[in-house]
Amino acid sequence: MDHVIELERVSKVYKGKRAVDGLSLRVAKGSVLALLGPNGAGKTTTVSMILGLLQPTEGKVRLLGGDPREAGVRKRIGAMLQEVSVIDNLKVSETIELFRSYYDKPLPLADLLRISALESERGKMASALSGGQQRRLGFALALAGDPEVLFLDEPTVGMDVTSRQLFWETVRKMADRGKTIVLTTHYLEEADSIADRIVVVSDGRIVADGSPSEIKARTTGRVISFTAGERTSDDELRAIPGVTELSRSGRRVKLMSADTDRLIAELIGRRTDMRDIEIGSGGLEEAFQALVSKAE
Amino acid sequence: MSQTARATWAQCKSEMLRTARNKRFVIFSVIMPIAFFFIFTGTMNADETIDGTDWIPYYLMSMTAYGVIGASLTSFAPRIAKERAQGWIRLLRITPLPSGSYVLSKIVAQALINLVIIVLVFAVAGLSKGIDLPAAVWVESGLWIWLGGFAFMALATLVGSMRNADAVQVLSMILYLGMSVMGGLWMPTSTFPQVMQDISKWLPTYRVGQGAWNLVGGGHPDWAGFGILAAYAFVFVIISSYIMKKQEAV
Repeated sequence: MDHVIELERVSKVYKGKRAVDGLSLRVAKGSVLALLGPNGAGKTTTVSMILGLLQPTEGKVRLLGGDPREAGVRKRIGAMLQEVSVIDNLKVSETIELFRSYYDKPLPLADLLRISALESERGKMASALSGGQQRRLGFALALAGDPEVLFLDEPTVGMDVTSRQLFWETVRKMADRGKTIVLTTHYLEEADSIADRIVVVSDGRIVADGSPSEIKARTTGRVISFTAGERTSDDELRAIPGVTELSRSGRRVKLMSADTDRLIAELIGRRTDMRDIEIGSGGLEEAFQALVSKAE
Repeated sequence: MSQTARATWAQCKSEMLRTARNKRFVIFSVIMPIAFFFIFTGTMNADETIDGTDWIPYYLMSMTAYGVIGASLTSFAPRIAKERAQGWIRLLRITPLPSGSYVLSKIVAQALINLVIIVLVFAVAGLSKGIDLPAAVWVESGLWIWLGGFAFMALATLVGSMRNADAVQVLSMILYLGMSVMGGLWMPTSTFPQVMQDISKWLPTYRVGQGAWNLVGGGHPDWAGFGILAAYAFVFVIISSYIMKKQEAV
Protein backbone atom coordinates (compact mmCIF):
# COMPACT_ATOMS: atom_id res chain seq x y z
CA MET A 1 0.00 0.00 0.00
CA ASP A 2 1.05 3.55 -0.70
CA HIS A 3 1.95 5.43 2.45
CA VAL A 4 1.70 9.19 2.22
CA ILE A 5 2.87 9.82 5.76
CA GLU A 6 5.28 7.70 7.77
CA LEU A 7 6.32 8.35 11.35
CA GLU A 8 8.83 6.01 12.92
CA ARG A 9 9.12 6.12 16.72
CA VAL A 10 8.99 9.89 16.69
CA SER A 11 9.51 11.87 19.90
CA LYS A 12 9.58 15.56 20.62
CA VAL A 13 10.99 16.88 23.87
CA TYR A 14 10.12 20.42 24.94
CA LYS A 15 11.91 21.77 27.98
CA GLY A 16 12.33 18.29 29.43
CA LYS A 17 8.72 17.25 28.76
CA ARG A 18 7.91 14.63 26.15
CA ALA A 19 5.13 16.23 24.11
CA VAL A 20 5.24 13.32 21.67
CA ASP A 21 6.58 10.02 22.92
CA GLY A 22 7.75 7.33 20.50
CA LEU A 23 4.83 7.68 18.13
CA SER A 24 4.70 5.51 15.00
CA LEU A 25 2.08 6.04 12.35
CA ARG A 26 1.49 5.24 8.69
CA VAL A 27 -1.19 6.93 6.68
CA ALA A 28 -2.40 5.38 3.44
CA LYS A 29 -3.11 7.45 0.35
CA GLY A 30 -6.68 8.66 0.13
CA SER A 31 -7.54 8.08 3.77
CA VAL A 32 -9.17 10.58 6.08
CA LEU A 33 -7.40 10.37 9.40
CA ALA A 34 -8.52 12.09 12.56
CA LEU A 35 -6.01 12.64 15.34
CA LEU A 36 -8.22 12.80 18.37
CA GLY A 37 -7.23 13.75 21.87
CA PRO A 38 -7.66 16.28 24.63
CA ASN A 39 -5.82 19.61 24.61
CA GLY A 40 -2.11 19.15 25.15
CA ALA A 41 -2.15 15.53 23.98
CA GLY A 42 0.51 16.24 21.34
CA LYS A 43 -1.72 16.39 18.24
CA THR A 44 -0.48 19.76 17.02
CA THR A 45 3.13 18.86 17.79
CA THR A 46 2.71 15.70 15.72
CA VAL A 47 1.21 17.59 12.79
CA SER A 48 3.93 20.25 13.03
CA MET A 49 6.60 17.54 12.78
CA ILE A 50 4.89 15.94 9.78
CA LEU A 51 4.87 19.36 8.12
CA GLY A 52 8.54 20.02 8.95
CA LEU A 53 7.72 23.04 11.11
CA LEU A 54 9.25 21.24 14.08
CA GLN A 55 12.13 18.81 14.00
CA PRO A 56 11.67 15.57 15.97
CA THR A 57 14.05 15.01 18.87
CA GLU A 58 14.12 11.31 17.94
CA GLY A 59 12.72 9.22 15.13
CA LYS A 60 12.01 9.71 11.44
CA VAL A 61 9.30 11.58 9.58
CA ARG A 62 8.54 11.13 5.91
CA LEU A 63 5.90 13.03 3.99
CA LEU A 64 5.10 11.92 0.42
CA GLY A 65 8.26 9.86 0.55
CA GLY A 66 10.55 12.80 1.31
CA ASP A 67 11.56 15.45 3.75
CA PRO A 68 8.65 17.80 4.45
CA ARG A 69 10.99 20.78 4.06
CA GLU A 70 11.70 19.98 0.38
CA ALA A 71 10.04 22.33 -2.09
CA GLY A 72 8.89 19.33 -4.15
CA VAL A 73 6.94 18.03 -1.16
CA ARG A 74 5.54 21.42 -0.19
CA LYS A 75 4.02 21.84 -3.65
CA ARG A 76 1.79 18.86 -2.98
CA ILE A 77 0.47 19.73 0.48
CA GLY A 78 -1.78 22.33 2.02
CA ALA A 79 -2.56 23.12 5.63
CA MET A 80 -4.79 25.04 7.94
CA LEU A 81 -2.71 25.76 11.01
CA GLN A 82 -3.84 26.99 14.39
CA GLU A 83 -3.32 30.58 15.47
CA VAL A 84 -2.71 31.96 12.02
CA SER A 85 -4.39 35.30 11.56
CA VAL A 86 -5.18 36.82 8.15
CA ILE A 87 -2.71 39.12 6.40
CA ASP A 88 -3.58 42.80 6.89
CA ASN A 89 -4.36 45.35 4.17
CA LEU A 90 -5.13 42.70 1.57
CA LYS A 91 -8.56 41.82 0.22
CA VAL A 92 -9.92 38.28 0.29
CA SER A 93 -9.39 37.76 -3.45
CA GLU A 94 -5.91 39.32 -3.31
CA THR A 95 -4.88 37.03 -0.46
CA ILE A 96 -6.07 33.96 -2.37
CA GLU A 97 -4.37 35.14 -5.57
CA LEU A 98 -1.11 35.61 -3.66
CA PHE A 99 -1.23 32.03 -2.40
CA ARG A 100 -2.19 30.75 -5.85
CA SER A 101 0.99 32.33 -7.23
CA TYR A 102 3.12 30.01 -5.05
CA TYR A 103 1.96 26.87 -6.85
CA ASP A 104 2.46 25.36 -10.31
CA LYS A 105 -1.12 24.22 -10.81
CA PRO A 106 -3.35 26.23 -8.51
CA LEU A 107 -7.11 25.81 -8.34
CA PRO A 108 -8.99 28.65 -10.07
CA LEU A 109 -9.85 31.63 -7.85
CA ALA A 110 -13.58 31.18 -8.55
CA ASP A 111 -13.44 27.56 -7.32
CA LEU A 112 -11.62 28.53 -4.14
CA LEU A 113 -14.12 31.28 -3.40
CA ARG A 114 -17.00 28.88 -3.97
CA ILE A 115 -15.48 26.09 -1.85
CA SER A 116 -14.90 28.46 1.05
CA ALA A 117 -18.27 30.20 0.52
CA LEU A 118 -16.58 33.60 0.37
CA GLU A 119 -17.89 34.70 -3.03
CA SER A 120 -19.74 37.71 -1.68
CA GLU A 121 -16.77 38.64 0.57
CA ARG A 122 -14.17 38.57 -2.20
CA GLY A 123 -13.74 42.36 -2.26
CA LYS A 124 -13.61 42.77 1.51
CA MET A 125 -10.41 43.29 3.48
CA ALA A 126 -9.47 39.93 4.96
CA SER A 127 -9.05 41.50 8.39
CA ALA A 128 -12.69 42.69 8.28
CA LEU A 129 -14.02 39.12 8.07
CA SER A 130 -15.66 37.40 11.03
CA GLY A 131 -13.73 34.71 12.90
CA GLY A 132 -15.50 31.89 11.08
CA GLN A 133 -15.01 33.56 7.69
CA GLN A 134 -11.30 34.00 8.43
CA ARG A 135 -11.04 30.27 9.13
CA ARG A 136 -12.77 29.60 5.81
CA LEU A 137 -10.27 31.87 4.08
CA GLY A 138 -7.55 29.79 5.74
CA PHE A 139 -9.19 26.74 4.21
CA ALA A 140 -9.18 28.36 0.76
CA LEU A 141 -5.46 29.11 1.18
CA ALA A 142 -4.79 25.49 2.20
CA LEU A 143 -6.48 24.36 -1.01
CA ALA A 144 -4.88 26.99 -3.26
CA GLY A 145 -2.29 24.60 -4.69
CA ASP A 146 -4.78 21.75 -5.20
CA PRO A 147 -2.86 19.63 -2.64
CA GLU A 148 -2.73 15.84 -2.49
CA VAL A 149 -2.45 15.91 1.27
CA LEU A 150 -4.47 18.32 3.33
CA PHE A 151 -3.78 19.06 6.99
CA LEU A 152 -6.47 20.61 9.15
CA ASP A 153 -5.34 21.44 12.67
CA GLU A 154 -8.44 22.10 14.81
CA PRO A 155 -10.13 23.62 11.77
CA THR A 156 -13.53 24.39 13.27
CA VAL A 157 -12.33 26.39 16.27
CA GLY A 158 -14.08 29.76 16.08
CA MET A 159 -16.77 28.58 13.62
CA ASP A 160 -20.45 28.70 14.43
CA VAL A 161 -22.70 25.66 13.95
CA THR A 162 -23.72 26.52 10.38
CA SER A 163 -20.13 27.22 9.31
CA ARG A 164 -19.08 23.94 10.89
CA GLN A 165 -21.63 21.89 8.97
CA LEU A 166 -20.80 23.63 5.72
CA PHE A 167 -17.12 23.12 6.39
CA TRP A 168 -17.33 19.38 7.03
CA GLU A 169 -19.51 18.95 3.98
CA THR A 170 -16.76 20.55 1.88
CA VAL A 171 -14.06 18.44 3.50
CA ARG A 172 -16.09 15.35 2.72
CA LYS A 173 -16.20 16.39 -0.96
CA MET A 174 -12.42 16.78 -0.91
CA ALA A 175 -12.12 13.29 0.54
CA ASP A 176 -14.38 11.93 -2.21
CA ARG A 177 -11.95 13.39 -4.74
CA GLY A 178 -9.28 11.10 -3.34
CA LYS A 179 -7.32 13.57 -1.25
CA THR A 180 -5.55 12.37 1.85
CA ILE A 181 -6.76 14.37 4.81
CA VAL A 182 -5.25 14.59 8.28
CA LEU A 183 -7.27 16.51 10.82
CA THR A 184 -6.97 17.07 14.52
CA THR A 185 -9.89 17.66 16.80
CA HIS A 186 -10.92 17.13 20.35
CA TYR A 187 -14.52 16.39 19.37
CA LEU A 188 -15.13 12.71 18.79
CA GLU A 189 -18.35 13.53 16.94
CA GLU A 190 -16.44 15.48 14.31
CA ALA A 191 -13.89 12.72 13.94
CA ASP A 192 -16.64 10.10 13.74
CA SER A 193 -18.61 11.90 11.05
CA ILE A 194 -15.73 12.62 8.69
CA ALA A 195 -12.84 10.21 9.25
CA ASP A 196 -12.39 6.66 8.07
CA ARG A 197 -9.68 6.18 10.66
CA ILE A 198 -9.35 7.59 14.14
CA VAL A 199 -6.10 7.66 16.09
CA VAL A 200 -6.62 8.59 19.71
CA VAL A 201 -3.63 10.39 21.19
CA SER A 202 -3.03 11.01 24.85
CA ASP A 203 0.18 12.22 26.51
CA GLY A 204 2.04 12.01 23.22
CA ARG A 205 1.22 8.35 22.67
CA ILE A 206 -1.32 6.49 20.56
CA VAL A 207 -3.90 4.88 22.85
CA ALA A 208 -6.28 3.64 20.16
CA ASP A 209 -6.22 3.30 16.38
CA GLY A 210 -9.02 2.06 14.18
CA SER A 211 -12.16 2.83 12.23
CA PRO A 212 -14.74 4.97 14.04
CA SER A 213 -16.90 1.92 14.71
CA GLU A 214 -13.93 -0.01 16.08
CA ILE A 215 -13.05 2.86 18.37
CA LYS A 216 -16.60 3.02 19.65
CA ALA A 217 -16.73 -0.75 20.07
CA ARG A 218 -13.59 -0.69 22.18
CA THR A 219 -15.44 1.28 24.74
CA THR A 220 -18.24 -1.09 25.65
CA GLY A 221 -20.36 1.91 26.16
CA ARG A 222 -23.63 1.38 27.93
CA VAL A 223 -24.56 3.77 30.65
CA ILE A 224 -26.85 3.85 33.65
CA SER A 225 -27.49 7.32 34.93
CA PHE A 226 -29.58 8.38 37.93
CA THR A 227 -29.93 11.02 40.59
CA ALA A 228 -28.23 9.60 43.64
CA GLY A 229 -29.35 10.02 47.24
CA GLU A 230 -27.27 12.21 49.52
CA ARG A 231 -25.57 9.34 51.32
CA THR A 232 -24.43 7.51 48.18
CA SER A 233 -20.68 7.91 47.85
CA ASP A 234 -18.69 7.52 44.65
CA ASP A 235 -16.35 5.02 46.29
CA GLU A 236 -19.25 2.83 47.24
CA LEU A 237 -20.61 2.89 43.67
CA ARG A 238 -17.21 2.22 42.10
CA ALA A 239 -16.85 -0.85 44.26
CA ILE A 240 -19.91 -2.49 42.68
CA PRO A 241 -18.82 -5.28 40.28
CA GLY A 242 -19.38 -4.38 36.64
CA VAL A 243 -18.84 -0.63 36.98
CA THR A 244 -16.06 0.35 34.60
CA GLU A 245 -16.34 4.10 34.85
CA LEU A 246 -18.09 6.69 36.97
CA SER A 247 -18.77 10.32 36.32
CA ARG A 248 -20.85 12.73 38.31
CA SER A 249 -22.19 16.23 37.92
CA GLY A 250 -23.83 17.38 41.12
CA ARG A 251 -26.14 14.58 42.25
CA ARG A 252 -26.44 13.11 38.74
CA VAL A 253 -24.30 10.01 38.47
CA LYS A 254 -23.33 8.11 35.29
CA LEU A 255 -22.09 4.54 35.56
CA MET A 256 -20.56 2.85 32.55
CA SER A 257 -20.66 -0.89 32.25
CA ALA A 258 -20.26 -3.73 29.78
CA ASP A 259 -23.44 -5.33 31.09
CA THR A 260 -25.98 -2.78 32.24
CA ASP A 261 -28.70 -5.41 32.70
CA ARG A 262 -26.75 -7.15 35.43
CA LEU A 263 -25.59 -3.85 36.92
CA ILE A 264 -29.10 -2.48 37.33
CA ALA A 265 -30.13 -5.70 39.12
CA GLU A 266 -27.08 -5.34 41.35
CA LEU A 267 -27.89 -1.70 42.14
CA ILE A 268 -31.46 -2.54 43.04
CA GLY A 269 -30.32 -5.55 45.04
CA ARG A 270 -28.09 -3.27 47.11
CA ARG A 271 -30.98 -0.88 47.67
CA THR A 272 -28.99 1.98 46.22
CA ASP A 273 -30.78 5.30 46.69
CA MET A 274 -31.63 6.18 43.05
CA ARG A 275 -34.23 8.28 41.27
CA ASP A 276 -34.94 9.12 37.58
CA ILE A 277 -33.05 6.11 36.27
CA GLU A 278 -32.04 6.05 32.61
CA ILE A 279 -30.27 3.29 30.74
CA GLY A 280 -28.76 3.97 27.35
CA SER A 281 -25.87 3.41 25.04
CA GLY A 282 -22.81 5.42 25.97
CA GLY A 283 -22.34 8.59 23.97
CA LEU A 284 -19.29 9.11 21.86
CA GLU A 285 -17.86 11.62 24.29
CA GLU A 286 -18.07 9.11 27.13
CA ALA A 287 -16.37 6.51 24.98
CA PHE A 288 -13.59 8.94 24.24
CA GLN A 289 -13.18 10.00 27.86
CA ALA A 290 -12.99 6.35 28.86
CA LEU A 291 -10.25 5.65 26.32
CA VAL A 292 -8.17 8.59 27.41
CA SER A 293 -8.57 7.99 31.12
CA LYS A 294 -7.71 4.30 30.70
CA ALA A 295 -4.44 5.38 29.14
CA GLU A 296 -3.67 7.47 32.17
CA MET B 1 9.27 33.65 -15.96
CA SER B 2 9.95 30.75 -13.62
CA GLN B 3 7.47 29.74 -10.97
CA THR B 4 9.64 31.10 -8.15
CA ALA B 5 10.22 34.41 -9.93
CA ARG B 6 6.49 34.75 -10.54
CA ALA B 7 5.71 34.02 -6.89
CA THR B 8 8.38 36.45 -5.70
CA TRP B 9 6.99 39.21 -7.89
CA ALA B 10 3.41 38.53 -6.71
CA GLN B 11 4.69 38.69 -3.13
CA CYS B 12 6.45 41.94 -3.95
CA LYS B 13 3.31 43.50 -5.41
CA SER B 14 1.24 42.55 -2.37
CA GLU B 15 3.86 44.05 -0.07
CA MET B 16 3.66 47.36 -1.92
CA LEU B 17 -0.11 47.30 -1.97
CA ARG B 18 -0.22 46.64 1.77
CA THR B 19 2.23 49.44 2.46
CA ALA B 20 0.32 51.94 0.34
CA ARG B 21 -2.89 51.03 2.21
CA ASN B 22 -1.23 51.43 5.60
CA LYS B 23 -2.36 54.73 7.12
CA ARG B 24 0.61 54.86 9.49
CA PHE B 25 2.93 54.69 6.50
CA VAL B 26 1.16 57.45 4.58
CA ILE B 27 1.13 59.74 7.63
CA PHE B 28 4.73 59.24 8.78
CA SER B 29 6.48 58.82 5.46
CA VAL B 30 4.62 61.14 3.12
CA ILE B 31 2.35 63.64 4.86
CA MET B 32 4.54 64.47 7.87
CA PRO B 33 7.80 65.13 5.94
CA ILE B 34 6.01 67.34 3.42
CA ALA B 35 4.10 69.21 6.15
CA PHE B 36 7.28 69.73 8.22
CA PHE B 37 9.06 70.95 5.12
CA PHE B 38 6.48 73.63 4.44
CA ILE B 39 6.28 74.68 8.10
CA PHE B 40 10.04 75.04 8.64
CA THR B 41 10.85 76.57 5.28
CA GLY B 42 7.93 78.98 5.70
CA THR B 43 8.78 80.19 9.19
CA MET B 44 12.54 80.46 8.82
CA ASN B 45 14.35 83.05 6.76
CA ALA B 46 14.66 81.55 3.27
CA ASP B 47 18.07 83.13 2.68
CA GLU B 48 19.58 81.33 5.65
CA THR B 49 22.43 78.93 4.92
CA ILE B 50 23.62 75.90 6.92
CA ASP B 51 27.35 75.25 6.48
CA GLY B 52 27.17 77.02 3.15
CA THR B 53 24.08 75.17 1.87
CA ASP B 54 20.84 77.04 1.20
CA TRP B 55 18.24 76.31 3.85
CA ILE B 56 15.37 75.22 1.60
CA PRO B 57 17.18 72.48 -0.38
CA TYR B 58 19.00 71.53 2.83
CA TYR B 59 15.74 70.97 4.66
CA LEU B 60 14.20 69.16 1.69
CA MET B 61 16.99 66.59 1.98
CA SER B 62 16.44 66.32 5.74
CA MET B 63 12.73 65.67 5.35
CA THR B 64 13.10 63.23 2.46
CA ALA B 65 15.55 61.21 4.54
CA TYR B 66 13.16 61.49 7.48
CA GLY B 67 10.32 60.04 5.36
CA VAL B 68 12.41 57.16 4.02
CA ILE B 69 13.65 56.29 7.51
CA GLY B 70 10.06 56.49 8.79
CA ALA B 71 8.89 54.02 6.17
CA SER B 72 11.31 51.42 7.48
CA LEU B 73 10.76 52.02 11.16
CA THR B 74 7.06 52.81 11.40
CA SER B 75 5.65 50.35 8.88
CA PHE B 76 8.33 47.83 7.85
CA ALA B 77 9.53 46.79 11.33
CA PRO B 78 6.07 46.39 12.93
CA ARG B 79 4.89 44.44 9.90
CA ILE B 80 7.72 41.94 10.17
CA ALA B 81 6.99 41.48 13.87
CA LYS B 82 3.26 41.15 13.29
CA GLU B 83 3.64 38.59 10.54
CA ARG B 84 5.75 36.46 12.83
CA ALA B 85 3.47 36.89 15.84
CA GLN B 86 0.35 36.08 13.83
CA GLY B 87 1.71 32.88 12.36
CA TRP B 88 2.11 34.02 8.76
CA ILE B 89 5.74 33.04 8.56
CA ARG B 90 4.80 29.59 9.86
CA LEU B 91 2.13 29.23 7.18
CA LEU B 92 4.49 30.45 4.44
CA ARG B 93 7.06 27.86 5.50
CA ILE B 94 4.78 25.05 4.35
CA THR B 95 4.14 26.66 0.94
CA PRO B 96 6.62 26.17 -1.93
CA LEU B 97 7.67 29.83 -1.68
CA PRO B 98 11.39 29.71 -0.72
CA SER B 99 12.15 31.74 2.41
CA GLY B 100 14.78 33.60 0.39
CA SER B 101 12.06 34.79 -2.00
CA TYR B 102 10.02 36.07 0.90
CA VAL B 103 12.95 38.10 2.25
CA LEU B 104 13.95 39.30 -1.23
CA SER B 105 10.40 40.42 -2.07
CA LYS B 106 10.21 42.39 1.17
CA ILE B 107 13.49 44.18 0.44
CA VAL B 108 12.66 44.89 -3.20
CA ALA B 109 9.18 46.15 -2.30
CA GLN B 110 10.54 48.41 0.43
CA ALA B 111 13.28 49.72 -1.87
CA LEU B 112 10.68 50.60 -4.50
CA ILE B 113 8.49 52.24 -1.86
CA ASN B 114 11.48 54.30 -0.69
CA LEU B 115 12.08 55.40 -4.25
CA VAL B 116 8.46 56.52 -4.57
CA ILE B 117 8.75 58.52 -1.33
CA ILE B 118 11.88 60.28 -2.58
CA VAL B 119 10.36 61.15 -5.95
CA LEU B 120 7.10 62.26 -4.35
CA VAL B 121 8.65 64.49 -1.68
CA PHE B 122 11.16 65.94 -4.17
CA ALA B 123 8.38 66.67 -6.66
CA VAL B 124 5.82 68.17 -4.27
CA ALA B 125 8.23 70.22 -2.17
CA GLY B 126 10.82 70.97 -4.81
CA LEU B 127 8.38 72.18 -7.45
CA SER B 128 6.24 74.26 -5.09
CA LYS B 129 9.28 76.07 -3.68
CA GLY B 130 10.94 76.39 -7.08
CA ILE B 131 14.19 74.81 -5.89
CA ASP B 132 16.78 75.22 -8.62
CA LEU B 133 19.34 72.42 -8.64
CA PRO B 134 21.16 70.75 -11.56
CA ALA B 135 19.45 67.53 -12.68
CA ALA B 136 22.53 65.53 -11.71
CA VAL B 137 22.30 66.79 -8.13
CA TRP B 138 18.63 65.81 -7.88
CA VAL B 139 19.47 62.32 -9.08
CA GLU B 140 22.60 61.95 -6.93
CA SER B 141 21.05 63.21 -3.73
CA GLY B 142 17.94 61.07 -4.27
CA LEU B 143 20.10 58.06 -4.95
CA TRP B 144 22.16 58.73 -1.83
CA ILE B 145 19.09 58.84 0.41
CA TRP B 146 17.76 55.72 -1.31
CA LEU B 147 21.00 53.84 -0.63
CA GLY B 148 21.02 55.07 2.95
CA GLY B 149 17.50 53.63 3.28
CA PHE B 150 18.95 50.12 3.18
CA ALA B 151 20.70 50.63 6.51
CA PHE B 152 17.31 51.42 8.04
CA MET B 153 15.65 48.42 6.42
CA ALA B 154 18.33 46.32 8.07
CA LEU B 155 17.67 48.06 11.40
CA ALA B 156 13.93 47.48 10.96
CA THR B 157 14.55 43.78 10.35
CA LEU B 158 16.55 43.62 13.56
CA VAL B 159 13.92 45.43 15.61
CA GLY B 160 11.19 43.38 13.93
CA SER B 161 12.84 40.13 15.03
CA MET B 162 11.84 40.80 18.64
CA ARG B 163 9.16 38.46 19.93
CA ASN B 164 6.78 41.05 21.32
CA ALA B 165 5.00 42.86 18.47
CA ASP B 166 3.80 45.70 20.74
CA ALA B 167 7.31 46.33 22.02
CA VAL B 168 8.50 46.50 18.41
CA GLN B 169 5.96 49.23 17.71
CA VAL B 170 7.15 51.31 20.66
CA LEU B 171 10.87 50.70 20.21
CA SER B 172 10.83 51.49 16.50
CA MET B 173 8.96 54.73 17.18
CA ILE B 174 11.49 55.75 19.83
CA LEU B 175 14.40 54.93 17.52
CA TYR B 176 12.76 56.76 14.65
CA LEU B 177 12.03 60.01 16.45
CA GLY B 178 15.11 59.90 18.70
CA MET B 179 17.59 59.24 15.94
CA SER B 180 15.94 61.72 13.59
CA VAL B 181 16.21 64.52 16.14
CA MET B 182 19.71 63.53 17.27
CA GLY B 183 20.90 63.11 13.68
CA GLY B 184 19.89 66.65 12.81
CA LEU B 185 17.04 65.84 10.47
CA TRP B 186 14.62 68.10 12.33
CA MET B 187 17.06 70.88 13.19
CA PRO B 188 20.62 71.13 11.87
CA THR B 189 23.23 69.69 14.25
CA SER B 190 25.11 72.98 14.15
CA THR B 191 22.43 74.30 16.53
CA PHE B 192 23.33 71.52 19.05
CA PRO B 193 25.82 71.69 21.91
CA GLN B 194 29.25 70.23 21.02
CA VAL B 195 28.70 66.92 22.89
CA MET B 196 25.53 66.18 20.96
CA GLN B 197 27.21 67.13 17.69
CA ASP B 198 29.95 64.60 18.42
CA ILE B 199 27.41 61.88 19.13
CA SER B 200 25.30 62.64 16.08
CA LYS B 201 28.29 62.08 13.77
CA TRP B 202 28.00 58.37 14.58
CA LEU B 203 24.30 58.09 13.87
CA PRO B 204 23.08 56.62 10.57
CA THR B 205 20.38 59.31 10.43
CA TYR B 206 23.01 62.07 10.39
CA ARG B 207 25.05 60.22 7.79
CA VAL B 208 22.11 59.82 5.39
CA GLY B 209 21.36 63.53 5.73
CA GLN B 210 24.96 64.64 5.50
CA GLY B 211 25.66 63.02 2.12
CA ALA B 212 22.60 64.67 0.61
CA TRP B 213 23.35 68.04 2.25
CA ASN B 214 26.85 67.97 0.79
CA LEU B 215 25.49 67.18 -2.66
CA VAL B 216 22.98 70.01 -2.74
CA GLY B 217 25.68 72.35 -1.36
CA GLY B 218 27.77 71.58 -4.43
CA GLY B 219 30.11 69.08 -2.72
CA HIS B 220 30.35 65.30 -2.48
CA PRO B 221 29.20 62.83 0.17
CA ASP B 222 32.19 61.74 2.25
CA TRP B 223 33.32 58.15 2.27
CA ALA B 224 33.30 58.03 6.06
CA GLY B 225 29.54 58.50 5.88
CA PHE B 226 29.20 55.72 3.34
CA GLY B 227 31.40 53.47 5.46
CA ILE B 228 29.39 54.13 8.62
CA LEU B 229 26.06 53.42 6.86
CA ALA B 230 27.41 50.25 5.28
CA ALA B 231 28.80 49.09 8.61
CA TYR B 232 25.45 49.65 10.32
CA ALA B 233 23.62 47.75 7.56
CA PHE B 234 26.10 44.89 7.78
CA VAL B 235 25.93 44.56 11.57
CA PHE B 236 22.10 44.77 11.66
CA VAL B 237 21.74 42.11 8.96
CA ILE B 238 24.19 39.75 10.68
CA ILE B 239 22.51 40.05 14.09
CA SER B 240 18.96 39.80 12.80
CA SER B 241 19.64 36.79 10.60
CA TYR B 242 21.36 35.12 13.57
CA ILE B 243 18.31 35.78 15.77
CA MET B 244 15.87 34.55 13.13
CA LYS B 245 17.88 31.38 12.48
CA LYS B 246 17.92 30.69 16.20
CA GLN B 247 14.18 31.23 16.55
CA GLU B 248 13.43 28.94 13.62
CA ALA B 249 15.64 26.08 14.76
CA VAL B 250 13.10 24.40 17.03
